[in-house]
Amino acid sequence: MIEASWIAGLGVILFSIGLLGAFTRKNTIVVLMCIEVMLNAANLNFVAGASHYSDVDGWVFTAIAIAIAAAEVAIGLAILLSLYSTQETISLDEANILRN
Amino acid sequence: MSDTKNEWELLVPIIPFLLVAPSLKFLAGWESVEAAFLIVVVPLLTFPVILVLGQLYNGNETWKHRYKEGGIFGLGALALSLSIAIWILYDYIVGSAHFEAHSVVDPLSWLTFDVIEQTGTQWEVSTGFYDIGVGVWIDSVTLMLLFVATFLCFLICWFSLGYMNTDKINEDSNHRFYGEFVLFAIGMFGMVLADNFLWLFIFWEIMGLCSYLLIGFYYWKESAAYAAKKAFLTTRVGDVFLMVGLLILYDIYGSLDFEVIFDDPSTGIGGVMVESGELFWALLMLFIGAVGKSAQFPLHVWLPDAMEGPTPVSALIHAATMVNAGLYLVVRMVPFVDIHVNGVAGLEDFALIVAWVGGITAFMAAAIAFVQNDIKKVLAYSTMSQLAYIFTGLGAGLLFLNIGEHHAGYFVIGASMFHLFNHAMAKGMLFMASGSVIHEVHHAHNHVRELSEKYSTNEGDDHGDFDPQDMRIMGGLAARMPVTATAMMFGSMSIIGIPLIGGFWSKEGIIAETWKVCLEEEPLMFVPALLVLATAGMTGFYMTRMWLMTFAGPPKSEIVGHVHEATPWIKEPLIVLSIITAIGGFALALFGATEYLGDPEYDHLSFHGIFYTLEHAFLPEDINLRLVGWITILIAMVIGPVMASRIHGGRLIDGVEANPLVSWLVDLSSRFGSQDVSELADSQLAEALQRRLYFDDLYEMTLAKTAIPLAELSAWFDKNVIDGIIKQIVSNSSSGSVKVRGITTGNARDYILMAAVGMLSIFALLWGVSA
Repeated sequence: MIEASWIAGLGVILFSIGLLGAFTRKNTIVVLMCIEVMLNAANLNFVAGASHYSDVDGWVFTAIAIAIAAAEVAIGLAILLSLYSTQETISLDEANILRN
Repeated sequence: MSDTKNEWELLVPIIPFLLVAPSLKFLAGWESVEAAFLIVVVPLLTFPVILVLGQLYNGNETWKHRYKEGGIFGLGALALSLSIAIWILYDYIVGSAHFEAHSVVDPLSWLTFDVIEQTGTQWEVSTGFYDIGVGVWIDSVTLMLLFVATFLCFLICWFSLGYMNTDKINEDSNHRFYGEFVLFAIGMFGMVLADNFLWLFIFWEIMGLCSYLLIGFYYWKESAAYAAKKAFLTTRVGDVFLMVGLLILYDIYGSLDFEVIFDDPSTGIGGVMVESGELFWALLMLFIGAVGKSAQFPLHVWLPDAMEGPTPVSALIHAATMVNAGLYLVVRMVPFVDIHVNGVAGLEDFALIVAWVGGITAFMAAAIAFVQNDIKKVLAYSTMSQLAYIFTGLGAGLLFLNIGEHHAGYFVIGASMFHLFNHAMAKGMLFMASGSVIHEVHHAHNHVRELSEKYSTNEGDDHGDFDPQDMRIMGGLAARMPVTATAMMFGSMSIIGIPLIGGFWSKEGIIAETWKVCLEEEPLMFVPALLVLATAGMTGFYMTRMWLMTFAGPPKSEIVGHVHEATPWIKEPLIVLSIITAIGGFALALFGATEYLGDPEYDHLSFHGIFYTLEHAFLPEDINLRLVGWITILIAMVIGPVMASRIHGGRLIDGVEANPLVSWLVDLSSRFGSQDVSELADSQLAEALQRRLYFDDLYEMTLAKTAIPLAELSAWFDKNVIDGIIKQIVSNSSSGSVKVRGITTGNARDYILMAAVGMLSIFALLWGVSA
């Protein structure tokens, strides 16, 4: 049995990787993937807590979070498609019309 | 008309509906009153079915010819309602079930209120204090109205299968007609059966809605849309007062249930004695609602315009059933004033108001009917006038009851209700007969036009503004339409009050008792009494005039020669109702219907009433009343019709024969000589009557001076103040957002970074605080 703190540590590492990727990459698809990594890092923390305290709540939260993440990805990809069809690019550097 | 065969095989789908009542009785062993809720529920389930299927299968051949665009389903549901109504009627009259338990079905709890009460100095909230149930209330008046409503709904739906479905203009929109027709039936049946004033009001409003929808059935015609709006808004004025009346009643009795209120109307909530002053206002408000619904002065303006609707609608809603709702409401007020039981004394003023409104309307409507040339408008004014008779009778009855003369009071209330029955049957039939005339004249007109187009090159002639309801193009139709002419003759006789035919028994009771009040109790009753007496003669004139203009004399246009009474489904209701008006009223009068309907202690029909009724009609003890009775018969039966005959009577053209039932009348009408009235027709009085005594003009002018400027003012307020504020907010925030956008980079990664930094600083803060 692996200690819960190890799993939590893995979660921290995964989260950091995701956050860094989201800051630095300019390909939107990669940014989206990084967000998924961060989300799953949080899920991992839930799972760790659940197994540590032998409490089912963490599992349930994770299941819900995964389901919502699926919906979120669908929306994210849809945004990407419409971004591409209007701007003809998915580079984050060029999609900056919010600037005045 | 090529389609002359009967279409009986189409009735097969209604057989299952007819089997419901017998199977409930013999297989499931239900009591009739337990099934009463089905009278409302089955149409309630049918009407959405008709509308939805009508939308789905619009234009489908099977739907159109086999199911008559939903008409067969409507007929089935109404047949079921009718069969259950007859079952209940049988139980109560033949099986002599008693009326001891009025609210015969335990009310289903439906709405629960929390009531806040002030006790002494503090307010208390009691939860679930008052709930409104759904129950059924049956007494003799309910039974009578239930039978009238279900029977006429069924017959008029039957009539509509012929009238509506053979007219090109209705094609593919008939499901709308039948759907609304059935919805109307729900409203009427529900109102009659309701066991508290709230449900009565709800069903009352359903009827108002259906009236609006069906008057505006031809909504693309500007006049129909206008008439629908006018009817809705005018009755709405009454309904607002009705609602206020209900609130006052609730304030007095703490309940709207008939059972609670009628148990002891002299004791209010908490055992307090009810003051006649407060009750007077409640009843007056309810009465204004009734005035609106029953088209009485001064809210009468909508009814003549309501004739824009299809003729079956006029027959059902604006003659036979819905307009009776107001009368029903007034009859429900009997326990309030009946001091023989538990009523509140001191309400004579209210009774006088009812009688005055009735008397004025009766006279005014009959006068206006003199100059109408539109066959349906004559009937519309006749309806107003006859309903006003009933109001006068009810006013006299309430007055009698309130001063303790309960025998006379019950008699005249019973006579009024009996007149309601006779009038509903006769007027429903008269309208259907007029529909038959209109329908066939229209077809003949189309036929003539086709012929003339075939044989002449002259196109675009003057047929565009043809009006098939105008009696000035008819005449001599007795030979072409035997069934319709006979039906209309019996209907007119019943309305006029020819002795021994239906309406005579009830009308005589109303007039005689109104005079009795005037002579013995209350001199202020003189005006209504005089007006209803005069109206009896005027009724004789205008009904005879209508019949003669339509059916007697030489034809007044070439169209008449092409009229054939050939549309299927139309004749049967006319024949059935002819028999009922000719014999049914007489039979019921002999069985003591008057006492049965008026006196709550008189719980079965019997021959007991025959001598009293006959004596009352022909030889009352009081010499004054005997005089009044004989004058009534004289002017209604002789003077009015003879005057009409002198103006409009005449033989048919040579070579055509009317059927023996009506030919005597045509011959008789030609024997009184003739009179030229063109001078009178140009007079100022005739002009005023043509303009409906200027009431419509007055109302329109008042509205143009008050409501329309107010509406324009509020439109301006809405556009400039309310919308203005919102538009200002919108433009401010959009210009503000432009400024905010100036300080951003527009780069998504920067936003993520800011979010992360912000979150981290919040964490750091929290950490610092907790440490």
